[in-house]
Amino acid sequence: MAKGKSSNQSTSGAKSDSVWVRAFTANSEWPDKEEFLDVIYWGRQIIGIIIGIVWGLFPLRGFLGLFLFAVVNAGSLYVYFNSFQQVDEEEYGGAWELTKEGFMTSFAAFLVTWIIIYSGLHFG
Amino acid sequence: MWADTVLILFISVCTALLGEGMTWLTVYRTEKYQKLKAEVEKQSKKLEKRKEAHGDSLDKQQKKKIEREEERLKNNNRDLSLVKMKSMFAIGFAFTALLSMFNSIFDGRIVARLPFTPISWIQGLSHRNLPGDDYTECSFIFLYILCTMSIRQNIQKMLGFAPSRTASKQGGGLFGPPPQQFK
Repeated sequence: MAKGKSSNQSTSGAKSDSVWVRAFTANSEWPDKEEFLDVIYWGRQIIGIIIGIVWGLFPLRGFLGLFLFAVVNAGSLYVYFNSFQQVDEEEYGGAWELTKEGFMTSFAAFLVTWIIIYSGLHFG
Repeated sequence: MWADTVLILFISVCTALLGEGMTWLTVYRTEKYQKLKAEVEKQSKKLEKRKEAHGDSLDKQQKKKIEREEERLKNNNRDLSLVKMKSMFAIGFAFTALLSMFNSIFDGRIVARLPFTPISWIQGLSHRNLPGDDYTECSFIFLYILCTMSIRQNIQKMLGFAPSRTASKQGGGLFGPPPQQFK
């Protein structure tokens, strides 16, 4: 969906940079809020899966693993939109709305990866 | 155990794709749905822009206009949910049957080891039909639900079938925000 939108925009000529380029460039302009929320959503999914793999390999167990996931996931994305992109949170309904974006899906993806890697490596 | 875990992941990817495929066949590709969806999105964006532009300084006339538009959007959202509902029910029944089949195949089998002990009200699900008191043992249903939660919504988003945020925020649909995970 994000890709479709980026191509639409580049044809309109308003912004020639694709979503990918803007996602990795500091202080990018985000005229379409949905695009930025998509970046946050997918970023969160990728981070969730990476944390799941790392916790599974380590292996991290118990409540600490769950707690650290929440901290790392929310923290890293907060730093991303607050310091790296420096977006105006209020435009998106506050930091909480941005933190909620894709969080549950990412949590489920994290649990699945964590459980699969942990089971496979340590109980195979 | 590892083979079962990966198999369940594979099953949930397949069922999610199948579910979306069936919904596409019965709902997403129909003209009525596409028309309504476009309409709802257009209205939601318009409404949001109008609200943003006027902020708190609303006179009576503008307020009335916004209220009228909200009402129209609500009606369209309700129609959209109704279009979806019939086939969602049919697909829901088919998947319940499929789920009970998988449930009986994996009955009593430990499909994974949890790296944490779930809280007591989840243990009924995560340790369903498993012998013993080791609550780090995971049953089929728990892993399947987790896989579906993550995979289904991501597939919907990737394929562009997920409802837009503006529409969910402005309209709400028949049952509040449109259900995305457990259709």
